[in-house]
Amino acid sequence: MNILNNLDFGTAIHQLTPQLLQGLVIALEATIFGFLLALVLGVLIAVGRLSGRKFLNGVLVVFLEMIRGTPLLVQLVYMFYVVPLLISLVFQFFIPDYQFRMNPLLSGVLGLGINYGCYMSEVVRSSIVTIHKGQTEAALALGYTHRQTMWSIIIPQATRNSIPVFGNYLIMMIKDTSLLAFITVNELLLRTQAYASQTFLTIESYTLLAVAYLILSLPLSQVVRLLEKRLRKHA
Amino acid sequence: MPEKMIEVIDLHKSFGNQEILKGIDLNVRKGEKVVIIGPSGSGKSTLLRCLNYLEVPTSGAIKIEGKSFLDEQGKYHEKRVAELRTEIGMVFQSFNLFPMMTAIENVMAAQIKIRKKTKEDARKTAELYLDKVGLADRMNHYPSQLSGGQQQRVAIARALAMRPKMMLFDEATSALDPELVGDVLQVIRQLADEGMTMVLVTHEMRFAEEVGDRIIFMDRGVIVEEGSPEDIFVHPQHNRTKTFIQRVLHPESLEGVQ
Repeated sequence: MNILNNLDFGTAIHQLTPQLLQGLVIALEATIFGFLLALVLGVLIAVGRLSGRKFLNGVLVVFLEMIRGTPLLVQLVYMFYVVPLLISLVFQFFIPDYQFRMNPLLSGVLGLGINYGCYMSEVVRSSIVTIHKGQTEAALALGYTHRQTMWSIIIPQATRNSIPVFGNYLIMMIKDTSLLAFITVNELLLRTQAYASQTFLTIESYTLLAVAYLILSLPLSQVVRLLEKRLRKHA
Repeated sequence: MPEKMIEVIDLHKSFGNQEILKGIDLNVRKGEKVVIIGPSGSGKSTLLRCLNYLEVPTSGAIKIEGKSFLDEQGKYHEKRVAELRTEIGMVFQSFNLFPMMTAIENVMAAQIKIRKKTKEDARKTAELYLDKVGLADRMNHYPSQLSGGQQQRVAIARALAMRPKMMLFDEATSALDPELVGDVLQVIRQLADEGMTMVLVTHEMRFAEEVGDRIIFMDRGVIVEEGSPEDIFVHPQHNRTKTFIQRVLHPESLEGVQ
């Protein structure tokens, strides 16, 4: 009963909301750049795997399995703590005592982008495969090379058809930016943790945090659903 | 002697163990309209698709205005093949318009990308040909907003805008509702009257008879018989030709032929 009597949402809302808004800016930054990276990687990996080059395909499959077989959080931690050490190691062959540092947000963007890029490449790949081969034939008959056909006829269609799935990945990525708290990125979760431990307003703080994510993702889901409908109409 | 536009020499094509084309020789002169007919599975579409190397022959040669698709050493170069293809317009049974582009963008795309024309230049040419196929008022429609017949006419305009020296039609009207066939045939007929070199695969026998300078009857991977429309439709020499003509022109009276 004690807990209920001491609830103080008013104070929490008043003090934590500005914090959450600042964290949100960082989370959105990470999402935008991470998602752009994921898009580029997703398309490149998909095209690479469909290029018909066995070696390239083999390398990419191994990479994909590594990424899909490990948790995103582990990848983020690895990107932040281990990758800079490895880079320093290499550079120290040329410059003694060289210390490579990586900005936490940059590590986060790279980690999110690579992880999501791998998953999205499968979406792009299956989308490319399902495009009618008549599209390729029409382009070839007009004098396009295979490469030109892929980039100016097939990829635009494949990415367009993937937009609803991409939308869902985008919403997932926004939520996954909370993992960046573990690599010291000052986003919503990290700020909330700090506030809760200072004020002991535990229930209030984390409830507000959850609501903040809901306010973000619910309208976005709605937008994705609308996009899906419109795309289906013009397919 | 009119020049040879297309020369096919001892063409063979197999898919796996199955030999679809078993030694085809064929010449198409400039301005000539050649119509290929035959039962389904006879290899007529495969032959047509070999003419622009959408199917790579297993053996034999294809020459376009004396130029081979393969280089002097008999090697395949994508650039060379792509360049030769720009001289050959092709129209498919399933239209194959690019769905994310409007009608006029469909007609402009290859002009800009392959012929390296400016946008304004490509647009003018596209407008010209869309008008020619009777779709001046549908330029900004997407393929999904057009009927099959309209889509096919856009596809013809798209091929023509590259100003090819010859056109291939692969069952261009087979996927259309009967009432839409006429418009497409009218466009092809007009093109024929203008002297375009054409090779057509079709099931429209009346049209073949009307438009063709030469009819080629194929069955089981070989050319069984060729000649003027009268030779083939009125006085066929081979039994297989007779049976086929009888069957498609008078499907109700099949008896007594075999």
